[in-house]
Amino acid sequence: MTERVDVVIVGAGASGAAVAWRFAGAGMSVVCLERGGWIDYDQVPSRSTDWELARQTTHHPNPNIRANEWDYPIDDADAAIKPMMYNAVGGSTLHWGAHFPRFRPSDFRARSLDGVAEDWPLSYGDLAPYYEENDRIMGVAGINGDPGNPHRDPRQMQPLPIGRGAERMANAFDSLGWHWWVSDAAINTEPYGEGRGACNNCGPCDLGCALRARSSTDVTYWPLAVRAGARLVTGARVFEIETDASGKATGVAFCDESGETRRIQASVVVLAANGVGTARLMLLSRSAAHPNGLGNQNDLVGRHLMHHPTGMVTGVFDEPIDGFKGPFATSILCQEFYETDPERDFVRGFQMQLVRSDAPLGTAVGVYLPRVPWGEDHHQRFLDVFGRTASLTVTTEDLPNPENRVTLSSDVTDGDGLPAPKMTYRVDGNTKRMIRFGIDRATEAFEAAGAVETLPQSLLEGAGFHLLGTARMGEDPEVSVVDGNCRVHSAPNVLVVDGSVFVTAAALNPTPTIQAIALRAADALIRDRAGIEVAA
Amino acid sequence: MNDTPKLVALLDTLMPGDGIDWPAAGAHGLADKTWEMARLQPDGEQAISTMISMLPPGFNDLPEDAREAALREIETDEPAIFGSVVSFAYNAYYTDPEVRDVIERVCGYENRPPQPLGYELPPFDESLLDQVKARGPIWRAVPDS
Ligand SMILES: Cc1cc2nc3c(=O)[nH]c(=O)nc-3n(C[C@H](O)[C@H](O)[C@H](O)COP(=O)(O)OP(=O)(O)OC[C@H]3O[C@@H](n4cnc5c(N)ncnc54)[C@H](O)[C@@H]3O)c2cc1C
Repeated sequence: MTERVDVVIVGAGASGAAVAWRFAGAGMSVVCLERGGWIDYDQVPSRSTDWELARQTTHHPNPNIRANEWDYPIDDADAAIKPMMYNAVGGSTLHWGAHFPRFRPSDFRARSLDGVAEDWPLSYGDLAPYYEENDRIMGVAGINGDPGNPHRDPRQMQPLPIGRGAERMANAFDSLGWHWWVSDAAINTEPYGEGRGACNNCGPCDLGCALRARSSTDVTYWPLAVRAGARLVTGARVFEIETDASGKATGVAFCDESGETRRIQASVVVLAANGVGTARLMLLSRSAAHPNGLGNQNDLVGRHLMHHPTGMVTGVFDEPIDGFKGPFATSILCQEFYETDPERDFVRGFQMQLVRSDAPLGTAVGVYLPRVPWGEDHHQRFLDVFGRTASLTVTTEDLPNPENRVTLSSDVTDGDGLPAPKMTYRVDGNTKRMIRFGIDRATEAFEAAGAVETLPQSLLEGAGFHLLGTARMGEDPEVSVVDGNCRVHSAPNVLVVDGSVFVTAAALNPTPTIQAIALRAADALIRDRAGIEVAA
Repeated sequence: MNDTPKLVALLDTLMPGDGIDWPAAGAHGLADKTWEMARLQPDGEQAISTMISMLPPGFNDLPEDAREAALREIETDEPAIFGSVVSFAYNAYYTDPEVRDVIERVCGYENRPPQPLGYELPPFDESLLDQVKARGPIWRAVPDS
């Protein structure tokens, strides 16, 4: 017999975990289907001597390169920025840097303030309580009082140590009169949460945190959700959202671990498979009521794919700054150039996030710096740069463009024979101008810090880690896929709770905002549940 | 045909050592490990084979500057293949325990994995923020925030 539940969730990452906890806590029966499995913390590469190799192979953030049994391929032949994600319980938070900023109030009002893109159907004020609640579960180290952002509650923990490189950059920002602040990080600086220790500054958070100090939802939300009664099924690849004649969802169909097709019926279907996986599943879900894919009557599903196109400047110092110590992505940030300035030749703005430096192999093969040249000077050059660099990202706001999109690939299929998602993406002129300006500013900051050399990169091809906008929210069903409570306009018992719903991308790491929106959408559904029309 | 002498010479040209601390990559015996690194990547072995086939006859017996000139030419003509082989060579070299010992001796970076020991860092000094705090709010308020 087909199982019947109140809520079925697709994807157990940042957003899926948060809503599983919320729905189960409200007494609803919840099943989450996740294509990956649980990661084994005894096998985390940072305990082995060859750990740096894992970054290029088994733990590469690009699923096309890593290509493990849980991954699906992504056709990125026409994408200037390549996809980065992880498919397992915890989703992409298993790989993330845990830089944990909030969007600013102005991010939700780009149309009214700057005449570009669209306003969101919700405001910073609507999300503020959910940001706080999410912070409490994920656990945030930092200091409140940042003049670059509205007030927030005291952080759960003291900030991370920032290291010598960040201290030099902080002094440089001060000398230029620019904003900077110590980053909010979803990383424990003391034991916090269940079985989660304190960070010991080992560095490669992206390989999975042996101490469970770097927050990922397999160790934050999932234990709570499971205790509240949510059931998590791993190895489950959902391939269709099933609907009735009126278009309402009846449940989902999936391949289980043994390859059998199975079904779950549900009053509510929640999509949390990220900005690529969710759009793909909606496009795969064709039916009489949704002939172009679920919610795609206006050909909007998959469109407006946004990233944070990222430039980078690396500064080389004349002294060892031990940049390999400490969480690689989190120390300080600068939001001096965050808001629109009519004097500049671009709209909107960017964040600069300080990244620490690499270990020996990463330095040699070139991640933040160009590859160390081979030949006679190789060893001297290695010595000149190793442990002596810091890098500033120029993390820009990407304006929504309907031609940047996720579709179904006609060339590539996954292990179940289903069409892979295809990303089509180009960087627009506004962004290119912004990156140019940002690179000049980052260079200026490194010069003020006394760097002896600065090396710019105009676009990091591997910056596709924030996957946004492919099922955008809005009040008008003609120009949006979901409403302000994340319900699909044409199938209101389907919720999209991941970064797909973003109307604009802002210029900040998105996950706290993704999770706050997801919790808010879950609360709205719990509140209105008696009135939600479910399939007969 | 045994490609090993050519690969050894190639590695020695890429990372020639300094005669003091750093060993030359080929003489240090990293040819087999370079193949191993290549096998971790799709088409990796093919890249090394192609690269070796492009080396001029007698490459291993050429003087160092001639070997370097030959490699510069291949790098210009086949940058992708060349780049892959350089990465395999660097992967082999910089994960070699004796090279990691050199790095420890010369740079102070301990030859051990990041875990379980991690690293000590001094705690954040909040007084660094005094100047920024004094500046007051810089975010743009909007009516409904
Ligand atoms: C290298 C890297 C660094 C990052 N650093 C940061 C950072 O510092 N700060 C920040 O805010 N963000 C960061 N991010 C982004 C962050 O990880 C994502 O924004 C966040 O995880 C997205 O949450 P999500 O719930 O939308 O999707 P995900 O967390 O990606 O989870 C989606 C889940 O859905 C599953 N799934 C997909 N399709 C199906 C299907 N058909 N059936 C069943 N399951 C399916 C996947 O397996 C996956 O587990 C980083 C990401 C990467 C890759």
